[in-house]
Amino acid sequence: MSPTSEVVLPPPQIGPRRLIAVDIAASVNLLGTLSKYLGLVALFPALVALWYHEPVWPFLAAGAITSGFGLALERISPGSASSVGAREGFLVVSLTWLLAAGFGSLPYLFVGGEQLGRPLDAYFEAMSGFTTTGATVVTDFDALSHSLAMWRQFTQWLGGLGIIVLALAVLPRLRVGGRQLLESELPGPEVDQLGERIRQTVRRLWVLYVSLTALEVAILALIGWTGLDDRMNLFEAVAHAFTTMPTGGFSTQAGSIGAFAAVTQWVVVGFMVIAGLNYALLFRSFARRRPGLAFRDEESRLYAILLVAASAVLITELATKAIEGSEAPLRNGVFQAVAIMTGTGYATVDFAAWPTLALMTLVLLMFVGGAAGSTTGSVKVMRHLLVGRMLRRELTQTLRPEVVMPIRLSGIVVDERTLRAIVSFVLLYVGLFVVGAGVIAVDAAVQGPDVLPIDAISAAAATLGNVGPAAGPAGPLDSYAPFSDVSSATMIALMWLGRLEVLPIIVLLTRSYWRA
Amino acid sequence: MKVFIIGAGQVGSTVVDALHGEHELTVLDTELSRLSAIAYRYDVATFEGDGTSRRDLAQAGVGTADLVIACTSRNEVNLVAGMFARREAPKAKTIIRTSEIEYVDLWREGQLDVDFVVCPELETAHAISRIIGVPAARQTDVFAEGQVQIVEFDVEEGASAELAGVPLRHAQFPRDSKVMAIIRKNEMTLPGGDDVIEPGSRVVVIGSPRAAKEWSALLVPGDAAVQDVVIFGAGRVGSAIARVLLDQRIGVRMIEASRERALAAAETFSKVRVYNATGLEADFLERERIGLAQAAIFAMRDDARNLYAASLARVHGVPFTIAVAHDAVSLAAFDQAGIDVAVNPRAVTAEEIVRFAHDPRTQQVAMLEGNRYEVLDVTTRDSSRYIGAKFRDMPVHGAMIGAIVRNGSAIFPHGDDVLEIGDRVIVFTEASNAPWVIEAL
Repeated sequence: MSPTSEVVLPPPQIGPRRLIAVDIAASVNLLGTLSKYLGLVALFPALVALWYHEPVWPFLAAGAITSGFGLALERISPGSASSVGAREGFLVVSLTWLLAAGFGSLPYLFVGGEQLGRPLDAYFEAMSGFTTTGATVVTDFDALSHSLAMWRQFTQWLGGLGIIVLALAVLPRLRVGGRQLLESELPGPEVDQLGERIRQTVRRLWVLYVSLTALEVAILALIGWTGLDDRMNLFEAVAHAFTTMPTGGFSTQAGSIGAFAAVTQWVVVGFMVIAGLNYALLFRSFARRRPGLAFRDEESRLYAILLVAASAVLITELATKAIEGSEAPLRNGVFQAVAIMTGTGYATVDFAAWPTLALMTLVLLMFVGGAAGSTTGSVKVMRHLLVGRMLRRELTQTLRPEVVMPIRLSGIVVDERTLRAIVSFVLLYVGLFVVGAGVIAVDAAVQGPDVLPIDAISAAAATLGNVGPAAGPAGPLDSYAPFSDVSSATMIALMWLGRLEVLPIIVLLTRSYWRA
Repeated sequence: MKVFIIGAGQVGSTVVDALHGEHELTVLDTELSRLSAIAYRYDVATFEGDGTSRRDLAQAGVGTADLVIACTSRNEVNLVAGMFARREAPKAKTIIRTSEIEYVDLWREGQLDVDFVVCPELETAHAISRIIGVPAARQTDVFAEGQVQIVEFDVEEGASAELAGVPLRHAQFPRDSKVMAIIRKNEMTLPGGDDVIEPGSRVVVIGSPRAAKEWSALLVPGDAAVQDVVIFGAGRVGSAIARVLLDQRIGVRMIEASRERALAAAETFSKVRVYNATGLEADFLERERIGLAQAAIFAMRDDARNLYAASLARVHGVPFTIAVAHDAVSLAAFDQAGIDVAVNPRAVTAEEIVRFAHDPRTQQVAMLEGNRYEVLDVTTRDSSRYIGAKFRDMPVHGAMIGAIVRNGSAIFPHGDDVLEIGDRVIVFTEASNAPWVIEAL
């Protein structure tokens, strides 16, 4: 083109004002893709059904519906998944769990019978599964077919896989609730391409998760095979390994782990403790054969201390009072402390029948959780540690305003933005708990069931913290079935919020999220 | 020896002052005024040019130098000059000055192609940590990998009667130590058995680090080991001091006026309590009980501030004050104001450089009383006429052997000991006698 020739620019085309700046089409597209693949996992319960000569169609239908829905979503949304940024990430993450729970509820709707057939109950059970909570509306466990029982367990195990991605790859990038701290701890060599690095990291941690599950299956099956526990068999071994590693807590038995022999209970305790550790740290300790790493980590140390202290309190209470489980205070005390603190929610005794003091201990433990980067829910030990250090700093600075005190975790300085994120997380978490407990208490007063304040409090804490069983009617040997629909819906929301670390969902409620 | 000095600032001129008598010096600087000040006082060649220009360096004759010292105040200039000097004069030794401890570490790891790196901040920190170790000392230095310490003490009223006021032959010294010199009113004596240490004089003592501490305790009774120090200023000098003191398990608090630097210091040193304050408010000093510290070090950038803060700290009860004097002129003012010890980073750096510039047999040199006296660390030659001589038979003029290092361990010789080939000798002498002493050994 010669310099003299005139360039004719097209007139600017200014479209109408766009109110919503979030790329919804791209988000829906990604959600469709996820849904498409999620449908495939229904093949596993289908195989179980085939093996036990039970109807296969509920699972195949659920899978087909989910995959078909995914394909349809992909079709209708013109956006491509690659244009999903951090902003869309909040939306996708929040919707993924809603969608997964929807998918999970389909088999219950089809063959759940009276106890799971109602849509809200089915959705409650599925949400409890995918969030690895372990709260159940099932009352008659013998009525569940093998395949449907296994499906319940399997949803928790799948939830665990999802949480690993969520906790170690997604939330740190969304800078949620101080999660960015974990970003520096991701295992593996530094690969230039960020996406490649995350994919590799997630794959490695999945391998660890699957290996630990396989190990637990092997040990439990061995216990059953050698006759140490006559109720244990391969089916039960798989079913319970599926809900131990994600700290879920669903069981095939009405008596939870209490239905099995003492040796089985101790093995489960061991795996619950491991499941509450930071997976990234666990991976490095294994991969580099340096178990010392876990002991030098301040969060893991506090986690261990809290477990020991909680066990000690419960053992004392069991040993000194004639309450449920007093016949074996050591085993029941340790088991219940570990099960509740890690948010697994298994039970060996009906702790709902404990006096208020012992019950309060358990409710407090529901707010602890495991290490950040584990599959546990709740506040998590790292946040407790850092909030504690911030409080100590505030106290020091009240007396000595000039003192400069950076806050460290395992020797590394934590930046102030991260600390602020942690404080806002804790505030939101406590706020949600209060609101949730209030709604449940008021609703119970209006519509039943007959609950004490501590029961409403524990139910809110147990669902928000993804623990599972609570006190009163929601005890470990009972179920959440008696609660009214309003309470159930509230608890579904609490499980969902708790699992996604609150902030990604709350962010969606702000105007600034949607606007340019 | 031909010495080529790049940079005629405070370090450069101190180096020139120490080396001009015995060596052939060329000084290069970008500023004519600084060069002419040096040319006016000393008989040295000066050249106006840029240390980062290879052409300037070549024209100034760096190629014929035996030793190149790059001691401008800028790291980059020194690094580049050192690199070009290595090319122009491959056989010459090169010394560069740096303000980053990182470069010192790099050099120790063999990553920097120079023969020696001096860091004023680090040298200052070491000087101060030695003083902290022996609180009664005016000045102190260590030799032979820390086995031998030389300390200059003020003898005051109240010194132990075992030492002061009696002829040396009857005095009770700590083991493994020796009096090298007694200084009265600017007059130095190399003491014999009849000499007396009197209050009001100064003594230079050589001995093991343990003996040095015992001397300190005898001369200033009641002084305990310093365990709690407050450092004013968390800049490069302050941080270097904190690092060195923390290594010796001494408790450190720091006061820094700039919020960013305070935060950086707090992040670097997890065991240090850092205050974001000027350190000049009586209110703050009172509230934080700064007066309870055993010692305070003033390492802020401004001498006047250091002086005022030190006076204020003394008022609040800090018994032992050490201040950094960036300008040599401030030393007298600090002394006058009652600050216990003043350290000039540039003088310390120059001393370190001069050590290197001496005879290759001379491993280390310390300077006392400005540049009047030197302590040399010399390895004896085979042909030295003192080999095999007993110490009691050696001539007593102008120099005194304080210690010898034989097979890696220090000996504090008595009259019957004999000098052997290959002994490293630590000898005290007047600066003007130094070349002669080195020659004789």
